[in-house]
Amino acid sequence: MNKFRGGILMLLSCAALMAGCSKDEASPVDETYPVIDITAANAFPKQCSVVERGKSFTFRATFSDNVELGSVSVDVHHNFDQHSHSTEVSACEMEAKKVANKPFLLIQDFPLAAGLTNHVLEKEIAVPADVDPGDYHFLVRVTDKAGWQTIKGISIKVK
Amino acid sequence: MTTSVWKGIFTAAFCMFSLLLHAQALRLSGSIVNAAGQPLANVRISLSAQNLQTTSDAKGNFRFENLQAGKYRLSAQLESYQLLQQELELSGDRQLRLLLHEQQHQLQEVVVRDNLVQQRKQEESLNVEVVKADFIQRNLGGSLMKTLERLPGIKTIGIGSGQSKPLIRGLGFNRVVVVDKGMKHEGQQWGADHGLELDQFAAGSVELIKGAASFVYGSDAIAGAIDVKPAPVPAAYTLGGAVDLIGKSNNDLYGTSVNVFGRNQHLFFDARYTDQRYGDYRVPTDTVFVYDYAVRLHNNQLRNTAGRESGMHFSTGYLSDHFRSIFYLSNTYSKSGFFANAHGLEPRRVDEVLHDASSRDIQLPSQRVNHFKIINRSSYQFAAHQLELELGYQRNFREEFSMYVNHGFMPPQYPESMTIPTDLERGFDKQVYAANLRDNISLGAHRLQVGLNLERQNNTIDGWGFLVPSFNQSTAGAFVYDKLKVNEDLLLHGALRFDYGQVKLFEYRDWFPSSINESGVAVPENVVRAADLTRSFKSLVWSLGMNYNREQLELKANVGKSFRMPIAKELGANGVNYHYFSYERGNPNLDPEQSYQLDFSAGWNAEKWSVQLSPFYNYFPNYIYLNPTSAHDRNYGAGNQVFEYEQSKVMRYGAELQLKYNFWRNLSTEVLAEYLYSEQLSGTKKGYTLPFSPPASLLLNLSWNPELRGLANSYFSVDLRMTAAQNSIVPPEKKTPGYKTVNVQAGTRFKVQGQEFQLSLQAQNLFNSKYLNHTSFYRLIELPEAGRNLILSLKIPFMINKAE
Repeated sequence: MNKFRGGILMLLSCAALMAGCSKDEASPVDETYPVIDITAANAFPKQCSVVERGKSFTFRATFSDNVELGSVSVDVHHNFDQHSHSTEVSACEMEAKKVANKPFLLIQDFPLAAGLTNHVLEKEIAVPADVDPGDYHFLVRVTDKAGWQTIKGISIKVK
Repeated sequence: MTTSVWKGIFTAAFCMFSLLLHAQALRLSGSIVNAAGQPLANVRISLSAQNLQTTSDAKGNFRFENLQAGKYRLSAQLESYQLLQQELELSGDRQLRLLLHEQQHQLQEVVVRDNLVQQRKQEESLNVEVVKADFIQRNLGGSLMKTLERLPGIKTIGIGSGQSKPLIRGLGFNRVVVVDKGMKHEGQQWGADHGLELDQFAAGSVELIKGAASFVYGSDAIAGAIDVKPAPVPAAYTLGGAVDLIGKSNNDLYGTSVNVFGRNQHLFFDARYTDQRYGDYRVPTDTVFVYDYAVRLHNNQLRNTAGRESGMHFSTGYLSDHFRSIFYLSNTYSKSGFFANAHGLEPRRVDEVLHDASSRDIQLPSQRVNHFKIINRSSYQFAAHQLELELGYQRNFREEFSMYVNHGFMPPQYPESMTIPTDLERGFDKQVYAANLRDNISLGAHRLQVGLNLERQNNTIDGWGFLVPSFNQSTAGAFVYDKLKVNEDLLLHGALRFDYGQVKLFEYRDWFPSSINESGVAVPENVVRAADLTRSFKSLVWSLGMNYNREQLELKANVGKSFRMPIAKELGANGVNYHYFSYERGNPNLDPEQSYQLDFSAGWNAEKWSVQLSPFYNYFPNYIYLNPTSAHDRNYGAGNQVFEYEQSKVMRYGAELQLKYNFWRNLSTEVLAEYLYSEQLSGTKKGYTLPFSPPASLLLNLSWNPELRGLANSYFSVDLRMTAAQNSIVPPEKKTPGYKTVNVQAGTRFKVQGQEFQLSLQAQNLFNSKYLNHTSFYRLIELPEAGRNLILSLKIPFMINKAE
């Protein structure tokens, strides 16, 4: 019985040691996600923003990371089937579901200069005059140097 | 350490083996009978001092020639008979008469007895665990791999109701070989969203080998091998079978497996049909958050995770004194749904009314897998040789169905001109032809195995989505393995293997035009995702090991090199994986992955307790790793994050501990602990761990085996599993908190009017704890694991005609 208790004790101390090793060490690697901030007054688009066909708008958002930013990518696609990957809490008023004929599609990546930890990105985006109006998703992705990615899905309307 | 140094050590060791070889000429012969005095044929007789083996002929006679004088341990073994072991001393020629007793309750159960398992462990320098059909019945999980998860060092990576792939010490996919009936099981090993196409009711026993096992199993056996063995052949002149019934509360599963077998002297058959159907599984939460998007669950059920699976098995063969040939035919089929709110990580708006109408229907998105196999295994014994040949064909056909979604530059409406069905997102059709030839040669104290493996794969793809191109692959390997019994206590092992492989990828071009940005001008183009590519690979691997068994002490050591050929996905992937929003880019220049591993094991077996500690150290000079980069790609990746295959140096170490203690005759306790550490030593993720690294865990068990009147083999057992947090992560993983779960197993056997019933009951996750599993496919969307699950299974074995 004594041997057994000794064994258990040994085991528990091993387990404690293991737990200790994996928990308390300060992590030497970057484990922080980059951040997309659209709270600034001049940030655009925001949840439920409206853009007009045949005109341009300025995409403006603030990106930050604890170590170094990687790149930004923007994807605008239709939401006529009302799928949802909005990461915003408040829902927008949706139009009726419909079939897409010539939906507005924009896929654009924006590499960022090396060494940035905070950056306000401003890009002109033109909306063609002949695209289908309706509900769209404006999907913003940002990575940091380590490969962590943050995605923000914003619901917008094309008028 | 350089390869040439190891080669030198190996050659030296091999020369020493040969010097120890010498011979004298004594004979040991005899006959074997049963309790009724009838001669027993096909009894496997082995002499442990020299690793000699033979089988008795039709008259029950056997004979060993050219023996040296000395002490031997003889063992005689025949299915459905108790193992006979006896010590004997040979100073001149000797004749024996052996008597074998029939096993009680012997029906279609696995005959491997504990001392045989013990012997297997003592003669293998790698870490081996053997589990039998009763372990499977006791711990029955959602799949065979899930059932094996109770063993230390084994985890699974999976999706939904138990569909899972094995992880041995944190490595999985194409770094673990699964062998079924002597043949490497070939499915879509690289995918995390489906399981292995194996029927756990058809498994006789499972041997789990941890460590560098490439020297026997070839490419991929870097972490080890899981060898699923068929049920043993029935005893002569029997006709019988068994009916298994099973029910599970969590996903309302019900199923059955029916088995019939029979044999005369030389011919036998064994047939089995398994059918299981289940509904959506339940989790202990009513809301899950997919990308911060709240998904309400109807009755705590994961929408559309219902499924059904069936398995058909038939084996037949001829068995005689020195020759046996068995055909195994099997077909497994499964159809199951994917969690509708998160097929891919995109929480698409789903028709909740449609899905919630029934918890048992399978709507889109779903998958269907069919795996067909035909294998012939033959062996022929002559003089000191035992020749073994396996020939096999298997076809794995897997399809993923989902509503058409125009990701990226795909047209908004699915064109009517397309010949691919609108709901077929991906299809994979794999056909594999394989042959294995081995000769086991007994040469004095040496037991030599030489072998050859050949395999040819043809893979084609289908569907409107693209991840991996079609490819063909041919591999050939030859090995020699020597086991030398230096004395009664010490065994030495040495092995060398050479492999050659060629993989040929075929061009794939998109069916839709992308808007390709060439110096500021957008040009529509059907892009070539994969180009024709032919690569060939060579590899030389080796292994050296020893076993030292003296009285209660068991020591093992092994050092070996393993390898893995890059797979088609790693060489030629070029598409967006919408499960992870990742644009995965293959690397056509990858080298074969190499791995060096050092394994130790020390055990002590006392009367009331036993302990075993198995540490290992593993180093990869060029681990193949899917690296999330900081770039996005517009033209090919539809704006998604680029994930690129790269190779980096990786170091891993860890250990498993097993401790058993018998308080008194009926009450025992068991402690199983495991720990693993991995670190990338070079490349862009230097300092990070590897993806899907299982956290440390500890399992405490208490078992009570009461002797109750009218009942046999009764057990009541409680497992408390404590899993530590996993805070070592690499993009795109998330830290996973620790958790505790309790599982309870109970069972017994009883007879009603002479008919035996074997009942087992399990409660998994007894307290319905809500926890996340770091190695689950659904971990990234914060989906908790299955809630409480009560599993009831009943086995009714029957015997129509019993051997006299």
